[in-house]
Amino acid sequence: MLRAPASLRGVDPARYVVYLGFLLVLGGFAVALRNDGFLSAANLLNIVQGATPVTVMSVGTVFVLTAGEIDLSIGSVVAVAALVGAIVLRGAPWWAAAAAALLAGGGIGLVNGALVAYLRLPSFLVTLATMGLLAGVARWLTDLRSVPITDDIFNGLFGSGALFGVPSLVLWTIATVVAGHFALRETKFGAHVLALGDSAAAARAAGIRVRRLRMQVLALSGATAALAGVLYAGRLNGARYSLGETDLLTVIAAVIVGGTRLSGGTGSVPGALVGALLMEMLNNGLILMGLAVSEQMMVRGVIILVAVALTLRERRV
Amino acid sequence: MKATFFAATALALTLAAPAFAQTRGPGGEAPTPTTDLKLDADEIAKLKGEHATAALLWHTSSDFVNAVTAGATDTFATLGMKVVAETDAGFDPAKQQSDIATVLAKKPNAILALPLDPVTSAAAFRPAVAAGVKIVLLSNVPAGFTYGKDYVAIVTDDLFAMGSHAADAMATAIGGKGHIGYIFHDAAYYVTNQRDQSFKKTIETKYPDIKIVESQGITAPDQGEKVAQAMLLKHPDLDGIYVTWAEPAEGVLSALRQAGNRHVKIVTLDLSEPLALDMVKGGNVAAIVADQAYALGAGMATAAGYGVLGKAAPPFLVAPVLTVTKANVEQGYQQSLHRAAPDSVVKALKGG
Repeated sequence: MLRAPASLRGVDPARYVVYLGFLLVLGGFAVALRNDGFLSAANLLNIVQGATPVTVMSVGTVFVLTAGEIDLSIGSVVAVAALVGAIVLRGAPWWAAAAAALLAGGGIGLVNGALVAYLRLPSFLVTLATMGLLAGVARWLTDLRSVPITDDIFNGLFGSGALFGVPSLVLWTIATVVAGHFALRETKFGAHVLALGDSAAAARAAGIRVRRLRMQVLALSGATAALAGVLYAGRLNGARYSLGETDLLTVIAAVIVGGTRLSGGTGSVPGALVGALLMEMLNNGLILMGLAVSEQMMVRGVIILVAVALTLRERRV
Repeated sequence: MKATFFAATALALTLAAPAFAQTRGPGGEAPTPTTDLKLDADEIAKLKGEHATAALLWHTSSDFVNAVTAGATDTFATLGMKVVAETDAGFDPAKQQSDIATVLAKKPNAILALPLDPVTSAAAFRPAVAAGVKIVLLSNVPAGFTYGKDYVAIVTDDLFAMGSHAADAMATAIGGKGHIGYIFHDAAYYVTNQRDQSFKKTIETKYPDIKIVESQGITAPDQGEKVAQAMLLKHPDLDGIYVTWAEPAEGVLSALRQAGNRHVKIVTLDLSEPLALDMVKGGNVAAIVADQAYALGAGMATAAGYGVLGKAAPPFLVAPVLTVTKANVEQGYQQSLHRAAPDSVVKALKGG
């Protein structure tokens, strides 16, 4: 019997459509905007750094979707975590603030997960409810006021700093994507997540502790959203209740375009990275083209539609 | 409303204007009308020679933003400046930050922007300052930014004048005397607070024969109708109602219609089609006070021209205010939003 080499087994060609799409859009902008600084190092760095929070959230979302769940609360977690971090930072060092923010996000995810796993509520509804609840909490925490952050270490580490000339946001992108990819592909945890999304019944029969796994996955999603919040706060030197509010759909689009299946069982962290970069590149390039805002929105919509159609259509065959 | 609301809202945080006599700048600067900005032929010729470019960094997309953009774009054209990018941050300061970074790749000479939030936009706008871009701000100032060094000028609505114009319109509508209700925005919100208080103050000081017999705050636009119903119940002799902005005023109008009340006159702020329609049909709405968004944009563009030329602009500029009544509703729409009045309004005007 012929068998594909191990390295290619389980590879879905549709998953590579996003890379092709990314290169096409990149090439298109490179030609159209050759005189507008699109390909300048500074602008390409803008794209990566602009995409960082969405990329970080996408990594958590890959796990959630792969496990067959969804987390709609991530946008609200971003704001809550950023504000928690900024508030703690008033009286504590940067590491305590960052830890508090991550714990807040992870804790929220854990509560989401517990409701899903033990009360057997659908994650869509649980996180829809917590999304609203947390949006309220974010507004209530500081009574709609923004909280400035003046801690240079915090702002440098999570925002505008650099290590050996590499901007910190780029390092966060690399670190999260590498860790996420490794966890999904090379660990027992990742294998269990894939199995759970494929078939919960089969996973249970195989001895996987399904409830605990669901909780872990949603806690991870909360934690990555919180990290995104910390990165926003570092970049903006401050936190505000509206941070992350518009990110949910961008994250889901990036993850799906990147080859993760909405119905579970298949996920790709590098694909999500490319999806997130594609979204940010569209924002960036369409602005540089000098289009009116309404035109930017229409063109972006069409390109995303094409990308989704390519990814999903092939996979259904 | 929301857009106009927001246009000046963030002033609340930075321009804690103490004075009441007029709208004041962040450092207590007296306002200069945008119409005072003038570039002579030599300056315009010099500017045209620069082939300068500008980017528009807005907070959202709306009727108001469209009119500001139109005013800015038209004026830039007369100055030989080109708009090379336009962005909408969707009220998200992080998106605005990435918009700025993106736009800087085009190396614009000037940026017109509404910074979303003083605290978080300081870091966002710093790179533009560092790149030497001339920044003209709409309504809001990033924390720590100084006039002349970090930005060219702030342009905003003349909130005080909006409130006092509304008071004058009310006085005209009810013949200078009578009992009125006062529906204000009961929230710490700079824009509405300034306008509401200016209305009240003007009535109290300028019109001794007009009594505010009932004051009622609202926190959401849908409360307008209920509040008006209660007012009418308590004061059947009411002659007029001031409403803090158009959306709740639509509710007040609905309450008056339900009660079959044709006597009470409504005065409110910001153009709205249902209200304008009632006004031209001779209903309860007597006047709508509006800002001139197009002039706001034109003023911003001219100030940007000052910046590019290295000429100092007045630090704090206010756009003119307009009282729209049945008599000038068509010009009113043109002047305020730079578009024709809605078809329904025009049709009603022609019909009678």
